Amino acid sequence: MVIFSISNARYTYVHDQKYPSKDVDIHHIVSRRSNAKYLVYATALLVLACALYLYVLKGKSISFVYYSLLFDIFLVKLLLGKPVKKESVVIMPAFGVQLETHYVSGKVIRYFVPIDNILKPVLIECVTPVTCYWTLSLIIRGESEMVLVFKNLRPPVKMLVHVWKALCAATDSKEETCTHAE
Amino acid sequence: MHNDRPDLYICTDHLLVYSIKHMTPSVCEGDMMDDSQKHRILMVSDFFYPNFGGVENHIYYLSQCLLKLGHKVVVATHAYGNRSGVRYMTGGLKVYYIPWSPFVMQNTLPTFYGLLPIIRTILIRERITVVHGHQAFSTFCHEALMHARTMGYKVVFTDHSLYGFADVGSIHMNKVLQFTLADVSQAICVSHTSKENTVLRSGLPPEKVFVVPNAVDTAIFKPAVDRPSGSEIVIVVISRLVYRKGVDLLVEVIPEVCRLHPNVRFIIGGDGPKRVRLEEMREKHSLQDRVEMLGAVQHVQVRSVLISGHIFLNSSLTEAFCIAILEAASCGLLTVSTRVGGVPEVLPDEMIVLAEPDPGDMVHAIQKAISMLPKIDPQAMHNRMRELYNWHDVAKRTEIVYDRAFKCSNQNLLERLSRYLFCGAWAGKLFFLVMIVGFLLWQLLELWQPADDIEEVPDFTLPCSCDEEMLEKNSVK
Repeated sequence: MVIFSISNARYTYVHDQKYPSKDVDIHHIVSRRSNAKYLVYATALLVLACALYLYVLKGKSISFVYYSLLFDIFLVKLLLGKPVKKESVVIMPAFGVQLETHYVSGKVIRYFVPIDNILKPVLIECVTPVTCYWTLSLIIRGESEMVLVFKNLRPPVKMLVHVWKALCAATDSKEETCTHAE
Repeated sequence: MHNDRPDLYICTDHLLVYSIKHMTPSVCEGDMMDDSQKHRILMVSDFFYPNFGGVENHIYYLSQCLLKLGHKVVVATHAYGNRSGVRYMTGGLKVYYIPWSPFVMQNTLPTFYGLLPIIRTILIRERITVVHGHQAFSTFCHEALMHARTMGYKVVFTDHSLYGFADVGSIHMNKVLQFTLADVSQAICVSHTSKENTVLRSGLPPEKVFVVPNAVDTAIFKPAVDRPSGSEIVIVVISRLVYRKGVDLLVEVIPEVCRLHPNVRFIIGGDGPKRVRLEEMREKHSLQDRVEMLGAVQHVQVRSVLISGHIFLNSSLTEAFCIAILEAASCGLLTVSTRVGGVPEVLPDEMIVLAEPDPGDMVHAIQKAISMLPKIDPQAMHNRMRELYNWHDVAKRTEIVYDRAFKCSNQNLLERLSRYLFCGAWAGKLFFLVMIVGFLLWQLLELWQPADDIEEVPDFTLPCSCDEEMLEKNSVK
């Protein structure tokens, strides 16, 4: 049963409850890339068509076609390289949190964190040399590194806040915020 | 006696009057108070804490006072070691330590367009309205100002140093400054001498340059409750021991003063390549018991060193504005300084004795200072400094500069490009090309990652628990 849903141009957030007990929370972030996919494929086909045209009618070397084919493969890999279709957080109160990564190929990678090991879920800002974005992380007992929720997709903070609040409720953490008073 | 300080105020008032006269009538009719608005300021520089220096202090204190005035301030700088990412400092001052590594003297590698994506992201997500760059020798600052102008933001630049005109490094630096400041909204210098220097180097119109001095934290730099008494006279020197600070002058001045005044002792704080010369001077003239070398002095220890002396000696060969003599005067010390750069503007005559950067003249100045010592009241001097140099006053003046920047009309790309063409026969065309490519790259970024996709960040406010604690403290009071 879908409880709540948000969409923007790139992601869809779904808050779900699927099991009879109704205590299990499931939060999905689904990637939407349909438009970009078609555009990339069209560009690749265009490059290949130009190369074939040059080879057949202009007498260019066959290696030109091979180079353009390699370029097409590189372009598709670069722009559509993210094979992740969906990432999910399954919150099982009193047990723990399961992080799932669903790939386009159908493979699913799951990572389970027991509830006792979660010290605190936090929303933090990450800075890279070229950009800056929000992430949702779990501070784990006994680990020096945090566990990233939605590691591959980078959903906007408007969607992350809902998951963060659910995680705080599940782990009995107070919803402390250092960016704005509520 | 003639005081430099009141002239500074008169000049400032005159500049304001001059500005008001040239406002359009519709603006003059409006209320000045209504012109004040809350700005969202991005400070950019390669120099910020945990690195330590005058520029770092200036940015921090100015930011804190602007926050108190109700503005929002964000600082962007490069990463320092493993300090990378977003940090919050006192009062909610947000600092972006962008993971670009420094490669020489805390400057990031100059890349014309390397910083464009991250600067654009920060400007959009923080909803910045003014970009304030600091220090001419900061590549981060120059690139950020260039990109901010490309994106249409108001830009203010503060120059903290004096540069020459004749050597290769200065010529190159002046050309870079001319490029960056060709399109700047307003500029700030820390002294009138610095303003003159910047205007000559960059070709900036003088009416665009404001003079806002540095200030000192008078709450930290207080005189000693009991002044060091006795017949001994202690002269304190605290500076980096490098050529620019005039250590070679000290090497000749100290033996002469010790010879003329047997009751004089020197305390020298600081470290640097010229320290060896001072050590040699001590050995040569057998002054080990009268010249004490402290080595590097942490800023938290500066006051305790200053209050152990009576006179502060500054032998710099060039200074845009000398914060060290402000700190010394705030601690109640009489100052002896070389008459270079902006130093004559800093203190009134009764607080400072000026000398030419010449050993003989400096010895005379020290003798004059020694004769003036009985008339000095450290507490009165401190109170005077608290009135003259206050960071809140600096913030208010900077706020005026921001308001002036907002009154400047926006210009399209063609008008801005024509200004770059006038920077020189060859350099102008090169600058023109750089700006064209920058504009195209910005448009490309707009396509790749539209501004709508970049989320705005909520503003920092104190957490509820802190608010409650503060309320409790106030109720207890």
